Amino acid sequence: MSIVFSFMLGFFAPIYGGIFYGIDRVLKAKMQRRKGPPVLQPFYDMLKLFSKTKFIVNAPHTIWMIFYFLSLWAVVFMIFFGGNLLYIIFGHLLATVFFIISGYSVNSIFSQLGSNRKLLSVVAYEPILIVNAICIYLVFGTFEISEILAAPNNFNSLVFTFLSLLFVVPTVLKLSPFDASKAHQEIVGGIEVEFGGVFYELVYAAKFLEMIFVYSFIFILASNDYIFGTFLVVFSFFAVALVDNSTARIKIDSLLKALYMYGFGLGIVSIFWILLCCI
Amino acid sequence: MLHIKRFLKKSPWVLHYNTGSCNGCDIEILACLSPRYDLERLGVLNTGNPKQADIFLVTGPLTHRCHDRLLQLYSQIPDPKVVVAVGSCTCTGGVFKDMYNVNNGIDSLIPVDVYVPGCASSPELIMDGIVKALEILEGK
Repeated sequence: MSIVFSFMLGFFAPIYGGIFYGIDRVLKAKMQRRKGPPVLQPFYDMLKLFSKTKFIVNAPHTIWMIFYFLSLWAVVFMIFFGGNLLYIIFGHLLATVFFIISGYSVNSIFSQLGSNRKLLSVVAYEPILIVNAICIYLVFGTFEISEILAAPNNFNSLVFTFLSLLFVVPTVLKLSPFDASKAHQEIVGGIEVEFGGVFYELVYAAKFLEMIFVYSFIFILASNDYIFGTFLVVFSFFAVALVDNSTARIKIDSLLKALYMYGFGLGIVSIFWILLCCI
Repeated sequence: MLHIKRFLKKSPWVLHYNTGSCNGCDIEILACLSPRYDLERLGVLNTGNPKQADIFLVTGPLTHRCHDRLLQLYSQIPDPKVVVAVGSCTCTGGVFKDMYNVNNGIDSLIPVDVYVPGCASSPELIMDGIVKALEILEGK
């Protein structure tokens, strides 16, 4: 990929991420036999939020949020420039920590609760991402995304990695059943609760970037077979939407147990599968 | 020049508050969001958060206990905003009119833009009221 093309992909990530999010909402509506909003709905929401009155609870709250958005965007740039997988995981962790600090910086009890829960869900999914990065290293011998995408397709050895990543996707995107950190009826959106107007747009657009982050992880499992990679992404997109529509939220401690038992367990199985059967 | 204001109409986020209603209107409001009526096709989202809301849907005859909370929620919604009073009690006090524990309707306390009558209001009426509210929101 040329540098200009990578730059364009990274720069316009919030734009086409918004279209993916719109498609996601329409898909979920169709699954419930509703008509659903227009595909461009996230952009209407964005323009509306720009025209609302600006509310700031306190300065650090907003500044940490801006840091979160910018560092997440930097992580998306690193993905499209074919950067190191470990740097990308830790960059995303740093962005999430900014988000959590922003939640702790206000007195709202819902925001604090959301931060606590987000911290626990990070504790749950971060080891799975690391284990999966190790699996990718064992198969391709490198952490560089540009080299992984040039390597021949070896999906047979990464089947369990794919399955364990399916547990990470709803946790990062805060979808059911792993949405205890957001829980928009129970704790009114958790960390998002104190944002209004144009600053809420940052939280909203960050969702699109998170989506690109997790689905690009799935895409690189297919290495140089881009069509198969797209198929994997579309499949997991459908599966995650279906599970989101058909399950209820589980408590945060059940989330930890489920992710450690199944997600992390599948990651360990994946390492043994690669070491014993594929090399 | 892009007129940002006209997008207010395309993504109204709704905050719903019950000021001591019998739950009849609340059930009808939730029915609006169900697959049969599907308010989301107009871009409506039911948020639980006043800071992200545009339309304030209020039900109930406004008991004295709800006074302060109604004012707090109203003042936390960023401008521009519209208030929709859903149900007869909310408009005038309804069957609870002049009772010792209620104010007669919420317009004694906050300005109301759209009145939706009915005991309980049907989903069609509520949707009609919200569409009316969108026209008012655009002009604000």
